[in-house]
Amino acid sequence: MLSARSCITAFRLLVLAGCATPGLWIGWQWFYGDLGAVPSEAVVHFTGRTGLILLLTTIAFGPAFRLTGWVGFMIARRQIGLWAFFWLLAHMLSWIGLDQYWDWPWIVKDMVDLPYVRYGVAGLTLLVPLAVTSFKRVRQAMGEHAWHWLHRLVYVSAALGVTHLWILTRADYLMPSLFLAVLLLLVAFRIVDAILHRQ
Amino acid sequence: MSRYRYPALPESEVTPKALFDARRRFLRRGVALGAAAAAPGLLWPRDAAAWREALQGRLDDDLDTRRLAGGEATTDYEDATSYNNFYELGNRKSDPEVFAHKLVTDPWSLTVEGEVDKPGTLALEDVLARETLEERIYRLRCVEAWSMVIPWIGFPLRDLLERHGPTSRAKYVLFEAIHDPDNLRGQRRSILDWPYREALRIDEAMHPLTLLAVGMYGEIMPNQNGAPIRLVVPWKYGFKSIKSVVRIALTEERPTPSWVAQNPEEYGFYANVNPHVDHPRWTQARERRIGERGKRETLMFNGYGDEVADLYSGMDLDRHY
Repeated sequence: MLSARSCITAFRLLVLAGCATPGLWIGWQWFYGDLGAVPSEAVVHFTGRTGLILLLTTIAFGPAFRLTGWVGFMIARRQIGLWAFFWLLAHMLSWIGLDQYWDWPWIVKDMVDLPYVRYGVAGLTLLVPLAVTSFKRVRQAMGEHAWHWLHRLVYVSAALGVTHLWILTRADYLMPSLFLAVLLLLVAFRIVDAILHRQ
Repeated sequence: MSRYRYPALPESEVTPKALFDARRRFLRRGVALGAAAAAPGLLWPRDAAAWREALQGRLDDDLDTRRLAGGEATTDYEDATSYNNFYELGNRKSDPEVFAHKLVTDPWSLTVEGEVDKPGTLALEDVLARETLEERIYRLRCVEAWSMVIPWIGFPLRDLLERHGPTSRAKYVLFEAIHDPDNLRGQRRSILDWPYREALRIDEAMHPLTLLAVGMYGEIMPNQNGAPIRLVVPWKYGFKSIKSVVRIALTEERPTPSWVAQNPEEYGFYANVNPHVDHPRWTQARERRIGERGKRETLMFNGYGDEVADLYSGMDLDRHY
């Protein structure tokens, strides 16, 4: 039998593997030219999708803890949240570098003109204060109450991300609907949980 | 005398759709078999791939080539056949190539009907036998802001339409693509109102640039690119260039294309390439040329303004997008 401590270590390694493997995969595909006619587009889509999945998974770690009572979820939440931020940052950078090819006047114009870009940039920007305040010392300095309030922004960020994906979709809404369903489920859980455990 | 009443049909007597479809398939086969048996001197049904053999022979000849893409390099064949929008075969760019074998093209026939003096349904080999094939190198600009340069092989749509004698009431031309949900996975979901429909104004259809293509890159049209016969209208967004056409109907009323029906705010009837009128969700000012880094400026009418701008003189292209 694994001790509780080794269980947590194993889980943290699992999270590490789950978050890093997609990077190895996309790097491998890029290197071997397996990303099709438009590799830049494939990278932008892949980083965005991975980032959004990880962001929703981060949110899901809360309910997972409430339902199972296992602290491993809370301990690994910072780790997976930072990975989500990393992937979404990679998403934006690959859009700027690979898709727009560093054409700054157009990048700025698209950020101003296009709603899906605005929502995407807003969603990622909201994650910056969360990433910055994820360090233990900052968290302690802020106080738990303020920290928890601030980190509820993750719901807003995820909603902006799903909206961004929704706007971009052409004709087939199956994938964005799945993302939306998961987000709504997580929000619903959070609200019901708050009502049931109000003190 | 009492008034005649139509007997009310109980729901239970309505033929289930599956049975109805099966019956239709059975009848079709019966007709095909009967026709084959009746054909004098033919012991076997006509070869389903007859058009393929006939076309291959024609492609081996030297065809005239007209280069109409301003000398821009043609897109790699590999890219042009692996990055496609053909929702009948799935909606990822790679799906049409992966599921290409699901498109059944042998045999193929084309119906021309509506406001014409000589309507008819012809086997594709008979359509091809009437026409002179040529190669045309055109830009192709997708509404999703990417583009390619493709060497098509085909013949002007005008040549075909004139053989059927459009009447004075023929104001529009409707095109309908294959409907085969048993084989085409995309048609089992209602992302669009199947079968795919597109339409042109008669003067657009008769324009010498408007092509019916049966091949590209010197070869028979690959399935994922709209085999065996597709429309190519180089100054319009790619979705106007309907693939795998089975029916052409000349009409007096303006037909509603599938994309217009799906979202009239985003897709107009004309869909002329226009860098000044953005799609509501993205910009049309620039495009990604497949195979190139960065972006190109999109050209008005995709660079065919000298040839086609007259068709739209006096029209507000912001409103008639």
